[in-house]
Amino acid sequence: MILAAVIAFCLQAPPDTLAPAAVYAVKELPVVRATEAVWVDSLVSTPMGVADILRAFTGVQVKDYGGAGGLKTVNVRSLGSEHVGIFLDGIQVDNAQNMQVDLGRFSTDGLGQVLLYNGQKTSRLQTAKEYAAGASVHLESALPTVSGGEVRLRGGTLGTVNPSAQWDRRLSGRLMLRTSADFLYSAGRYPYPCFDTTLVRENGDIRSLRLEAQLFGRVRGGSWQVRVYGYGSERGLPGPVIRRLSFPFSAERQADQDLFVQGGWTQEWTARYSTAIRFKYANNYTHYNTHPEKNPMALPYNLHYRQQSGYLSLAQSVVLAGPWSVDVSADVQHNALDSDVGQFVTPRRTTLTGALATRVVWQTFRAAAHLVYEGAWDRFRTPSAGGWSRSGGYRDSWMPSLSLFWTPLRWLEADAFVKRTYRLPSFNDLYYSLMGNANLVPEAALQVGADVRLTLRPDGWELGLRVSPYYNRVSNKIVAIPTLSQFRWAMLNVGLVDITGADVKASASWHSGPWRASGTLRYSFQQALDHSVPDSQTWGNQIPYIPRHSGSVSASFGWKDLAFTWDSSFTGSRWSRTANTPDYYLAPWSLSNAAVQYTLRFRERGVADRPGAPSAGRALLLGVTIDNVFNTPYQIVQGYPMPGLSAQLSVSFRW
Amino acid sequence: MKKALLLFTFGVLSVVACRKTFVPGTPTKDASLEGESVNVAEFPADVKKIFVLNEGQMGANNATLDFLRRSDGQYITGAFKKMNPSAAAGLGDVGNDIAIHDDNVWMVINNSGLVEVVSAADETELATIEIPTPRAIAFDDKYAYVTSWAGAFATYEGYEVVDSSNPKGCVYRINLSTYKVEGNVEVGYQPEGIAYYDGKLYVANSGGISSQLPPLYAYDNTVSVIDTKTFAVTRTVEVQVNLKNVYADGKGHIFVTTLGNYFDVHSGLYVFPADAPDQVTHVTRDFLKHTHVSCSFALGDEVYCIGTENEFAFNEKHVYILWSYNAVKDKVSLYLVDLGGVPYGMAVLEDSIELRTLLVGDAGDYFNPGTVTCYRLYDLQDKVWSVTAGVCPGHFAVWK
Repeated sequence: MILAAVIAFCLQAPPDTLAPAAVYAVKELPVVRATEAVWVDSLVSTPMGVADILRAFTGVQVKDYGGAGGLKTVNVRSLGSEHVGIFLDGIQVDNAQNMQVDLGRFSTDGLGQVLLYNGQKTSRLQTAKEYAAGASVHLESALPTVSGGEVRLRGGTLGTVNPSAQWDRRLSGRLMLRTSADFLYSAGRYPYPCFDTTLVRENGDIRSLRLEAQLFGRVRGGSWQVRVYGYGSERGLPGPVIRRLSFPFSAERQADQDLFVQGGWTQEWTARYSTAIRFKYANNYTHYNTHPEKNPMALPYNLHYRQQSGYLSLAQSVVLAGPWSVDVSADVQHNALDSDVGQFVTPRRTTLTGALATRVVWQTFRAAAHLVYEGAWDRFRTPSAGGWSRSGGYRDSWMPSLSLFWTPLRWLEADAFVKRTYRLPSFNDLYYSLMGNANLVPEAALQVGADVRLTLRPDGWELGLRVSPYYNRVSNKIVAIPTLSQFRWAMLNVGLVDITGADVKASASWHSGPWRASGTLRYSFQQALDHSVPDSQTWGNQIPYIPRHSGSVSASFGWKDLAFTWDSSFTGSRWSRTANTPDYYLAPWSLSNAAVQYTLRFRERGVADRPGAPSAGRALLLGVTIDNVFNTPYQIVQGYPMPGLSAQLSVSFRW
Repeated sequence: MKKALLLFTFGVLSVVACRKTFVPGTPTKDASLEGESVNVAEFPADVKKIFVLNEGQMGANNATLDFLRRSDGQYITGAFKKMNPSAAAGLGDVGNDIAIHDDNVWMVINNSGLVEVVSAADETELATIEIPTPRAIAFDDKYAYVTSWAGAFATYEGYEVVDSSNPKGCVYRINLSTYKVEGNVEVGYQPEGIAYYDGKLYVANSGGISSQLPPLYAYDNTVSVIDTKTFAVTRTVEVQVNLKNVYADGKGHIFVTTLGNYFDVHSGLYVFPADAPDQVTHVTRDFLKHTHVSCSFALGDEVYCIGTENEFAFNEKHVYILWSYNAVKDKVSLYLVDLGGVPYGMAVLEDSIELRTLLVGDAGDYFNPGTVTCYRLYDLQDKVWSVTAGVCPGHFAVWK
């Protein structure tokens, strides 16, 4: 995996500026900063996917089943991936079936920024869903400004070939078109230690094609965009490594076709009143086949699923007086899941989410509060019962939050938040014919957190330190554990988890003439204790797969158009069960990656839109990435070995 | 307090008694293994070990073998790994059945696709036999018979399924002297339990997968009867949907437990005479309508069942009931035992009719190690002790 690091200037979002006495500017200020933010084009060699950026963030844990086709989900501060909202241009990427959003399907192409909010994102005109997520990852498109494009070819030792292209075109003064495509093939064959021998991972290949078009428009006082996204993939699910003699681990294949259309229109009607309308239609089709003809151990499943969702959101923002503004957002969403599984219950869900938010913003002190109401109507139908059942079909909740921000000195910022969110059980949790568990109760997350940030900018330097202690309580926590394959999950209500932790991030960057260097040190402490059943054998034990200690060191160096980066990350010991016994102990591991990139510029054109941006004008970029430099065998999820040493070459041309 | 004292006294007495009466043979290799100490004072004297096969969680490769030693009351977990350190992969993935034949322990490791044979004396590996998706095991003098879902239409050991979209399972035959597979015979959909009686094998077909698959979308409801001489199915007996275990009492009765369809057909116990298989009777009584079966165990003429009254009420806390059926006497007995937790497997030990011991494997949350709990089925009918086992302690075998 590529773990690209951050070079100079990208450690902080651009500084806030306050246009004096302007209502207009005050209301744009964020109350709380993003916990982590990365400009994608500032990375040394573009990572293959969003997961590679997120795994470097503090407090974030990316679950990875290995290989290019392996499922990748994100967990923030032990809340569980279902509490982490993934938002693409403010619109949630959701999966009502299992609430596992596979980050492996999101390319970084065309993205401007990737942001993580541990607390509450408190910008104007957010969708109600943005308020309802426990933690959130925001993928923001880079807005194209000029006609141009990029073609790239990547390939590596894991049998990976990844050509891609992006083309930006100015259609008129107010209209930009971006189209992009990429194709990925990865053989996914890599050696790994299997008990007392070494085997090669089989049936981990993937081929996928992504086609995307985005239209960006401007109107007087407003802007709009529409995105059409198509993704198709066919992959093997290699299965967990278990004791087998001659039979293969798995011959399972999965094919996906994802299509969505989404868009939004943001309008500033007066200096005080603005609106944003957003919509989405998504259609996701999955075909899962165990191929028993290739594997005598396979159960003969050949199943098809289709998931559809429609979504509409209206957000309004009013500046009431000076620094005080109020937002009202309302979202409505409908989800449907169909399948040819026997006794399938064809669940339907309609969700209404409403948010009332208020913000007070001065330059040195800012505060925000909101209250969200979410109600979901579930209906399901079993072939044997006939008709639609609504029994136990309504679930609702109130989700409040408060955020404070204070910057007493230019170099010191402090913020704090408290927030309660709640996530609905997924369709699989509730209705899955074999694994489903109708006993599951909705999962609530209470979060209390604070950040202290020091930023010093002596001549040529930028020094940053962030300390973020937090306490989370997840009640009625539902844990998903893969069973026979990544596709089928066993659901478990662990109950109550108390998470006490702290994230620390120290960074330094320096530049002088053609030279630049930066380094980041990250450390996370997470004590996620099971407090479900007093006097049980698991009470007070660390919950599965959460390391108590984890951290990373990354360093980047640059000279003119040459950049080099090195990352080492450390994951402390974990347990694969809540019973923290030696049988289920997972040893700590560390991992190092390196990347080099050279930019060959042909012609300078104009000025870089942002300092530190590597290219504006025609350029050829050559990159080499070495992942797992020391060939460390490791597993993030037990039974799913990760690749060892691998190398990747990348050539791209921008114009 | 009085009870505790009493137990304590019993414990001490038992140790003394054992030292006096138990004549150890040559010390076995596993004699040094130590575990949790429990009270086995009232266990039958002829019992040497009670083996517990913990299923583990599918995909986690954590099936384990525990045993309780009669001689010193030690409950030892993970014995297979401890006694076979060279078997790096451990026992494997999902232990589905355990049986003792000729002082050997036979374990059916479902998702590893193998049958593991170890010595009952010291748990050292004797043979590993590969069979696709094996489920349960039974024996006659010459062969071990293993039911298999054989989900493949790939040919394995000469077995080829005709309907690839919904294949039927089969029974494999293993030669006891060579540990080699010697042929197979097709039975119904997803066969589970198997029992041998008087030259015939009785195989319970569940249809557990077939119920989810087109074109059938239905459970199987049949017992396949196999003649061991010809190794061919001679008869198919219709019982009820979703069959699970089969037992023979050795006196001409064949018992079949069913799981029901989790919707409108309850689980239950059915019995038919071996010489008149079409006379199937559902075991139920006026005083005990809810003769449901979550897990079961056969001992002598008696089949013991633990069932729950409110089977379809998934949202409620389940109250488990222990009952038994004796076909010779045609008698249903109910036991007033307060069973907590999630009974997942069971064993009953017998010294005399009045003195019985119940062992229950509690699966807990199905994810973390469960427990084995000992109850007395006489007098106070009380819980005696509880030890930590492996994940999902589901299958018991008593070595005498």
